[in-house]
Amino acid sequence: MSIATTHPAEHPAEEYHGGWMRWLTTTNHKDIGTMYMTFALVMFFVGGLMILGVRAELFQPGLQLMKPEFFNQLIGVHALVMIFGALMPAATGFANWMIPLMIGAPDMALPRLNNWGFWLLPPAAILLTLPFTLALFGIGDGALATGWTFYAPLSVQGGMGVDFAILAVHILGISSIMGSINIIVTIFNMRAPGMTMMKLPLFAWGWLITAFLLIATLPVLAGAVTMLLTDRHFGTHFFDAAGGGDPILFQHLFWFFGHPEVYILLLPVWGLIPHVLSTFSRKPTYGHTAQIYSFIAIGVLSVVVWAHHILTSGMPVPALIYFMFSTMAISLPLAVLFFCWIATMWKGAMTFETPMLFAVGFIVLFGIAGLTGLVLADVAADAQYHHSYFVVAHFHYALFAGGIMGVMTGVYYWLPKWTGHMYSEKLGKLHFWLTVLSFNLTFIPQFFLGLAGMPRRIPDYALQFAEFNAISTIGAFILGFSQLLFAWNIWRCVRGGPKVESRVWEGAEGLEWELSSPPPHHSWETQPVIK
Amino acid sequence: MNQPFTESDLERRRAASRRLGWLLGAIVLAIYLIGMFIKR
Repeated sequence: MSIATTHPAEHPAEEYHGGWMRWLTTTNHKDIGTMYMTFALVMFFVGGLMILGVRAELFQPGLQLMKPEFFNQLIGVHALVMIFGALMPAATGFANWMIPLMIGAPDMALPRLNNWGFWLLPPAAILLTLPFTLALFGIGDGALATGWTFYAPLSVQGGMGVDFAILAVHILGISSIMGSINIIVTIFNMRAPGMTMMKLPLFAWGWLITAFLLIATLPVLAGAVTMLLTDRHFGTHFFDAAGGGDPILFQHLFWFFGHPEVYILLLPVWGLIPHVLSTFSRKPTYGHTAQIYSFIAIGVLSVVVWAHHILTSGMPVPALIYFMFSTMAISLPLAVLFFCWIATMWKGAMTFETPMLFAVGFIVLFGIAGLTGLVLADVAADAQYHHSYFVVAHFHYALFAGGIMGVMTGVYYWLPKWTGHMYSEKLGKLHFWLTVLSFNLTFIPQFFLGLAGMPRRIPDYALQFAEFNAISTIGAFILGFSQLLFAWNIWRCVRGGPKVESRVWEGAEGLEWELSSPPPHHSWETQPVIK
Repeated sequence: MNQPFTESDLERRRAASRRLGWLLGAIVLAIYLIGMFIKR
C-alpha cells in the first residue's frame, strides 16, 4: 500500500476548557483514548493488589490473613476488575487513539457517544468496589463472592455485593456497546479514499470483529444478570430449581457471552501484534488477507462453542462431542495466525526493542495458552481438570500473556507516537524480563497444582500443595511489583524524554506514522489518499 | 491531489454513522429483550 499525503498544517489552538472540564467534556478521540488507557492502568493495579492479597493467603496452607468469605470476594472482583476495568478499557483506549489515525479520519464518527462511553466507566468501577468499603463501616457483607461468573444459585442467595456487581456489569456493558457502535460506524464510514476494507490495517480489523462480538453477546449477559436480579428481588424463578427454574440455564447464558469475551479481549491484540512484528522485522506483514479471514472465522466460531466451559455440567453426549470438536476447530484459524506471525519474522532484519520483545514473548506464552486449551477442550481430560488450578494457569496464559502482555506491546509501540517522547529502553527491557520470568514462576507451578488435583477458589489446601503454592506466591509478588517499572516508564515518557520523529520506528508502515508525534489536535484535516 | 475534509462530506459521513449507530443499538436492545419472550 503506498500512501500519498501531505502533513496537515499546524492547527490554530483550539478553544479548550481548562483543567478537569477539558477531560470531562472532551470529544477528541486522543483525549478519550488517553483517559481509557489511564483508567485501565489504575484498574490494573487495583485488580493486581486484590490478587496479591489472595496469593499472600495461599503462601502457606491454613488461614492466615483473611476469612474465606473475603477471599472469595477478592477473587471474583479481581477478575471483573481485570476484565472489564483493565483489559477492555485498554483495548478501547488503543482503538480510540489509533483507528482514526490508521484509517485517515479526523476523529471518531460519533464523538459525544465516545465521551459518554468513557464516563460511564468510573461510576461502574466504584459500584464494583464500593461494597468492600461499605463492609468496613458495617454495611452489608462485602462484595460479590461468587467468582466473576455469578453462578446461580449462589448468586441468587448472595449478599448485596451481587446487586452492586449486577448494576456495575449493566453500566460497563452499556459503555462497551457505545464504544463498539462507534468503532463499527467509524471504520465503515470514516475511511480515507482508497482505504478499502481489505487494505484496512489488521488492528482495525481485529477491533471490527471484536465490536460485532460485543454487540452480539453483551445483551445476553445483560439479560442473564437482569433475570438474576429479578430472581433475587422480584419473585421470579429463572434459575431456581425449587420454582421450576434451571441453574444450568444461567451457566449457558453466561458463557454464551463469556467465551466470545475471551476473543473480545484477544482480537485487538491479535490485530496489533502483526504491526509490531512487521515493523521490527522490516518486512511487510505476511498473510494480511489470511489473517483477516482468520479473525472472521474465529469471531464466528467463538459464539458457537460456549459450553466447553461447562462440559462437566451433565450435558447429553452428542452435545459434549459437538462442543469438544467445535472448540478444537478454533485452533485451525488460530494456527493460521501463528503461522503468519512467524512467517512475518522469517528472514527479516529483526531487532529486539521492547515492543518486539513483548510481541515475541506474547507468541511463545500465548502458544502455551492455546495448547493447554486443547487439553481442556477434550471432554475426558476436562472431567479431571475442570475447576482445578490447571484452568487458572491456562486462562492466565491466555489473558495475562495473551491479553495484558499484548496491551503492553501496544503501549511500548505507540507511546512515543502518543507523547512525542521516547521511553527508556533500558527500563522497558528490564520490565519485560522481570514480567516474563515472574509470570512463568507464578503460573507454571499452577499447572502442576491443577494436575495434582488442587481445586481453584479455595483459601486453604492440603499440605501436599504447599511448595508449589509458595513458589507461585513469590512469583506473583515479583510480577506485581515489576509492573511499577511499567507505570514509572510511562510516567517518565509522558513528562519528557528524547523527542521522536513522526515515523518513530524505522520499519513502521501505515498512515498513523505520517502524522507528527504527538499527532495534531485534529488528526487528519487533509484527506490522505491511499493508492 | 489531497483534499481537505469538507464540512458537507464530514456531515454526510456522520449522518450515515448515526443511522447505522441507531440500527446497531436497536439490534442490541432486541437481543436483550427477546429472551423475555422465549418459553422453555
